[in-house]
Amino acid sequence: MATTTASLTITSADLVGDALSLSSTKELHKAGTTTGLEQTTGMTTLHLTATTQLDIFPVLPATPAGQNKQAWVYICNKATDETFYITVSIAATNIGRLYAGDYLFMPYSQIAQKADIEITPNASAASTGIDVEYTMIHEGLTYPTSGD
Amino acid sequence: MAATTTASITINSTDLLTDELSLSTSTTLTGAGISTGITTTGGLGRKTTVSASQYILFDADDYPSGPDMAHKIYLKNTETDAGLYFLITHNSEDIGRLYAGDWAFFPWNNHDGTADIKITPSTSASHTLEYMILTD
Repeated sequence: MATTTASLTITSADLVGDALSLSSTKELHKAGTTTGLEQTTGMTTLHLTATTQLDIFPVLPATPAGQNKQAWVYICNKATDETFYITVSIAATNIGRLYAGDYLFMPYSQIAQKADIEITPNASAASTGIDVEYTMIHEGLTYPTSGD
Repeated sequence: MAATTTASITINSTDLLTDELSLSTSTTLTGAGISTGITTTGGLGRKTTVSASQYILFDADDYPSGPDMAHKIYLKNTETDAGLYFLITHNSEDIGRLYAGDWAFFPWNNHDGTADIKITPSTSASHTLEYMILTD
């Protein structure tokens, strides 16, 4: 069992009248347990030059091994031009945009076939090229077989 | 008025891999496609659920909509029983489960009136979730 800790701090002195200073820290556990997650895809960096929508993790099969097990996804748009963004989707649902420097950290239930996580750069980002970092820390993931 | 709001994440592990994991990223939250800081928050709130029904946490109709927004959502399951979770759903797509103590931070495209952020507690017992929206 591994011990992996994820922490978030959100601060602002001027967003509201009272200074915002929020901190959350949590060890990443298997679903419904206090046992640490032991698997990861590792950190990947992609340089994208097309507006093609991409699956960034293995495509989910009919019965995903990680279905309703716990997984955490981190995605970061490493661009510095504020107009460059990537759209993050799960299946056909557009979750939201990550603009330059933005990241997300969210659970992922791998709920069903084709509920893949996809990213799509916008045109100006693709024409220049955009770097994206991502990883998944999880307790189960189905990889394609050699026949796929 | 534009504000300076910073969101920082660290992910650390000394034993997940043979090489130590030490990820640290910080970003200043800005409006969509601009370098001006975000201006709005719904404030940090808490919701206690008392049934296993699905609840709308952020109604897409209640916020300026469209893909050109930079909404960010923070969620935290404040429970301590490891088995208790909230299933997070965007529109009709399940994103994942937040178990006790877990938090999440992700963008939200409320592209139409159905693109709500919804939560479904794992049981009908009392479950409490903290939430906040940060936006331009």
